[in-house]
Amino acid sequence: MQREAKKLKVGIFDFTDCEGCQVKLVSLRERLLALLERVEIVNWRLGQEKNRMDRFDLVLIEGCPITQDEIDLLKLLRERSTHLIGFGTCATMGGIPAIMDQKERAKWYNKIYGPQYKPRGIDSLPLTSYVKVDFLIHGCPVDENEIVRVMEELLSGKKPAYRGYSVCFQCKLAGNPCRLINGKPCLGPVTQGGCGAICVSGGSPCYGCFGIRDTAQIEGLLDILKGMADKEEIERYFTMFLRYTKEYNEIVRPFMERENG
Amino acid sequence: MIKNYKMEPVIERNSIPSLLKILSSDYSIIAPQERNGEVVFDDLKDPECLVLGYKVTILPPKKYLFPPEEILFTYSGKGVRTPSITSKKLLIFGLSLRDLEAITQLDEIMSTPHPDYFYWKRRSRSILVGVTDESVHAPPGGDLILERMDDELYRAIPLTQAGKKIVKGRFFKKQDILPHKGEGNQVMEELRKLLLDPETLAEAVKWSRAEGHPVWEELGKRCIGCGICTYVCPICHCFSMENSVSLDGSTCTRCRKWDACTLPGFARIAGGYDHHPSQKKRYYNWYYHKFVRGYKEYGKSQCVACGRCQTYCPARIDIEKELLGIVKDYREACG
Repeated sequence: MQREAKKLKVGIFDFTDCEGCQVKLVSLRERLLALLERVEIVNWRLGQEKNRMDRFDLVLIEGCPITQDEIDLLKLLRERSTHLIGFGTCATMGGIPAIMDQKERAKWYNKIYGPQYKPRGIDSLPLTSYVKVDFLIHGCPVDENEIVRVMEELLSGKKPAYRGYSVCFQCKLAGNPCRLINGKPCLGPVTQGGCGAICVSGGSPCYGCFGIRDTAQIEGLLDILKGMADKEEIERYFTMFLRYTKEYNEIVRPFMERENG
Repeated sequence: MIKNYKMEPVIERNSIPSLLKILSSDYSIIAPQERNGEVVFDDLKDPECLVLGYKVTILPPKKYLFPPEEILFTYSGKGVRTPSITSKKLLIFGLSLRDLEAITQLDEIMSTPHPDYFYWKRRSRSILVGVTDESVHAPPGGDLILERMDDELYRAIPLTQAGKKIVKGRFFKKQDILPHKGEGNQVMEELRKLLLDPETLAEAVKWSRAEGHPVWEELGKRCIGCGICTYVCPICHCFSMENSVSLDGSTCTRCRKWDACTLPGFARIAGGYDHHPSQKKRYYNWYYHKFVRGYKEYGKSQCVACGRCQTYCPARIDIEKELLGIVKDYREACG
């Protein structure tokens, strides 16, 4: 008799964010149904009514942990899960919530809500600032094919791997004119590929939401960027999604400080 | 008196779209067209959109013979399956002489030491038609070359049976051809001259590395490792393999994908050891393969001076200038 493989127990949680990455999960449609043949979703607030807190084989976390409750839940989920995966750029790098400026925020709280207001938000840091995370599915939003790829690797018992190429691969395949050659800033060459170069194809720059590619030549790109943008603009590009990356703090910031000289 | 002209097949510029329309009943036609201000090879839906006399396309036509991503085979409980090509034969129209030469080189590379089944699966079902403003002295490859005589007329140079068959069609007529001088090709003219002496080029590049020429340190810093020079090269042919198991667990797939030696995974092996741990080493490898290894294995550089790597390098590395510099220094140092 053929033994039915044990279904993986999955939990999908979300912290502060727009929930757009979960929409991407739903938009897998038939592929989501195929996935449900292999996994049991035991907790998904957005997707089902009955949820329970169990032990999880796999937890996907969308969003940025901002309040104490979210941070506590994150730590609890880490304890109860075998694989914990950041799902989307808010979870993996802080994303849009992390653009906030602490000082400005205090000023506006005071102005809008008055001095009595007690803010619930503590900080906006990526998951990795609080717990060990096993894999990061970057993207604002995540890409459907990347979700499937990572799930396929996990289900077949492999360790998921990051893409070893830049956004430029798919950008060239799409036949886009190169922004950098045309004097317009772009972080595509240092950004992990897999997004389909969707932003550049649509006329926008790449801001690096897919995370920095392995061994990216950031100083080389900075040398190119400084010929076409001022310091503030370069700073804006790198702080849209990448301000909590090691590369931003260890390479971009010192480079900008040297440039200020 | 010696007759200095001869009867040759010609086609009028205006008849080319009609010719393509007729050929499209037998072939899927790929031809250069304009997209977002760039010229790219794409399916030719409307023959009037054909662009001739262009400088260079972003991606070379190799993408139709060696696709950027290609499933090699799938495995399920029922055994191994290789995807078959069911579409019509391919006719790639409007190739430049340098792109034809590149495909001639790729044909050789993909035949050695064993024929690359997947490349030849496509290549053997394709017809190549070059179109050029230059004078054709020694046809570099392809089935048919149309050489521009003037704004209205192209001389047809059939090179294979398939090319001859096309020229028999009603859009071609025989006409006296006066000797004429076509336009030159100014793209990478100096590198083109260097390529005539691939031995010196190979020796010079090898020497520059062995002698620790400062150019590699500098280029290693400037190269941003995006991989573009490799993707746009009409001869670069390195790939990596990706294996996957479908979501339902029923099918395994092996896919090959263009790789680039300027990228981190290229020379990294099991266990994590990296043969090219720095960008300097990765970048040098691109030159090494083209000019040193290419010469050693095939007696020529794996470069046709099409100019793409230079045109599309975001770091604006002037590859021709760098190579000229290396050869000059080599000649001075080694006489």
